[in-house]
Amino acid sequence: MKNLILRNLSKTYFDPYAGAHVSALKDVSLEVKQGEFVSVVGPSGCGKTTLLSLVAGFIAPTAGEILLDGSAVNGPGPDRGVVFQSFALFPWKTVLENVAFGPRMRGLPRPECERIAREYLAIVGLADTAARYPNELSGGMQQRVGVVRALANNPDVLLMDEPFASVDAQTRMNLQEELTRIWLERRPTIVFITHDVEEAVFLANRVVVLSKGRVLKEIAVPLPRPRAWDALIENAAFKALSKEVLDLVRAA
Amino acid sequence: MNALLKLFSLYVRATTRWPALRAIVPFIPVIALWWIVAESGMFPRAFFPAPPDVVRSFGSLVYKGILPEYLEDSVMRLAIGAAAGIALGIPVGMLVGLSSRAHKMLWPPLLFFQAIGDIAWLPILLIWFGFGIATMTFVIVYTVLFPVVLNTVLGVRSVPVNLHRAAQSLGASRLRILWEVVLPGALPNIVTGLRNGLGYGWRALIAAEMIVGTSGIGFLMFDARRAGSVVEILLGMVVLGLLWYVVDSWILVPIERKTVQRWGLVAR
Repeated sequence: MKNLILRNLSKTYFDPYAGAHVSALKDVSLEVKQGEFVSVVGPSGCGKTTLLSLVAGFIAPTAGEILLDGSAVNGPGPDRGVVFQSFALFPWKTVLENVAFGPRMRGLPRPECERIAREYLAIVGLADTAARYPNELSGGMQQRVGVVRALANNPDVLLMDEPFASVDAQTRMNLQEELTRIWLERRPTIVFITHDVEEAVFLANRVVVLSKGRVLKEIAVPLPRPRAWDALIENAAFKALSKEVLDLVRAA
Repeated sequence: MNALLKLFSLYVRATTRWPALRAIVPFIPVIALWWIVAESGMFPRAFFPAPPDVVRSFGSLVYKGILPEYLEDSVMRLAIGAAAGIALGIPVGMLVGLSSRAHKMLWPPLLFFQAIGDIAWLPILLIWFGFGIATMTFVIVYTVLFPVVLNTVLGVRSVPVNLHRAAQSLGASRLRILWEVVLPGALPNIVTGLRNGLGYGWRALIAAEMIVGTSGIGFLMFDARRAGSVVEILLGMVVLGLLWYVVDSWILVPIERKTVQRWGLVAR
C-alpha cells in the first residue's frame, strides 16, 4: 500500500521583516491511506499551504519526516502530482502537450504520450481543445487541464492546493462534482487543501482541520457517493458535518 | 471634419484589404513635405535634393553595383555579429538569471562594460586590430550582447516559480526544465533584447563603417560627404530606415506573432 505518512512535521521560517522565526507548522502527524480522499481545511495562515509544499518537496521540513510508500520524501518528484491554484500550465505548450508533459519526462515514446494525454483530456470533456493554447481556454477549462495533467502522470498522491479558488462559483461546483466522479472511477490518493469548509466536506472521506500549525481535529465524512450538490445541499448529515467543521475553523 | 473622417474610414478599409498600404501611406506626408521644401528653392539644390534626385541616385548606384554590394556587406556584418551576440548572450543571460552565484560574480562587470558603449571601444580596437573586419565584428557583437544578456536575465527571472515546480513535480530534469520552461518563459524578454540589440548593433555598425570601413552603407555615406554628394548621404539614410523596417516587420514581428502573442504572454 502506497500510504503517505507525515511524522512530527515542523516548519519554521525566518521572517526578515519581523526579524524573527515564525512557526508555520508544529509537530503535525497525519496518515493518508492509498486511495483515500483527504481535505485539509483551515483559516489563512494555519499552515495548510506549507503542509502541501512540504509534501510536494518544494521546501524542506525543519523537523520530522514525510514517508511515501515507505521511503522518505526529499525534493519534488513525479510520485506526487501537484495541482496549483494558479493552474501553472505551460503557456507555450498546447493543451495536449501540457498533459503529455509528465509521460514525456518519463521517456515514453511520443505517440504513447499523446494517446495518454488524449485519454485523460476525454475524461474531463476537453478532447477537442487539444490543439489550443491555455490562454485560449476559460479558467475552469484550464484547471481541468491542470488536474488531468497531474493525473496523466499516474502519481501515488495527488496534491491539490486550493485548485478551485480562482474560478467562479458555478464552475467551481461543476469542477468539484467532476473531481468526485474521477476519484470514484480511478481512486487516486488525494490531499486537497482548501479554506472552503463545504468544499472540504463535499469532496473528502476525511477532513483534517488545521489551526495555527497544528492538527485540531480529524473528522470522517461517511456521506454516500456519488455526491452531487443538488442532493447534498439539503442533506442533514452534510449540513451537520459542515457545521461541525465550520465551528472548529471559526474557533481556531 | 466629416470629410476627414470619411477619408480615414476609407484608409482603414483600404489597409484591411491591402495591408502593405499601412507601411506606405504614413510616409506620403513626410515625402510631400520634403519635396515641397526642396522645390520651393529655399535651399540650393546641391544642399537639399528632392526625392526624385535620391531615386535617380538610387538607380545609378544600383546600376553600378555599388549599392547592392555595400548593402550586402553591411547586412552580412550585422547578421554575423548578431548571431554571435545571440549565441553568446542567451546562455550567459540564462546562467546569470538562474544562478545567484553567477549573478553575484557577473552582474557588476556586466553593468560596467555595458556603460562603455560600442564606439567608445573603437580607439583601442583600431590600435589592436586595425581598420578591418575584426574591429567591426567586435563592435557589433559587443553591442548586441548586452541588451540580449540583460533582457534574458530579466526574462529568466520573470518565469513564475510555480512553473518550475509544476515541471519538477511532473518529473522533469534540470536540463529539461531549462529547455522546456525557462527558455520559452524568457522568450518575450529575449525578443525585446533582440530587437534592442539589433537596433543598437545596426547603428554601431554604421558608425564603425564610417570610421573603419572600406565598404558598407556607413562607408558609402561618409565617402559621399568627402565628395560633397548630399544626395548619396540622403540615400544612405533612407536605406538605413527601410532596412530596419524590413528586419522588424519580416523577421521580428512574425517571430513574436507565432510565439509570445499566440501564448498570451504579451498583449496583442
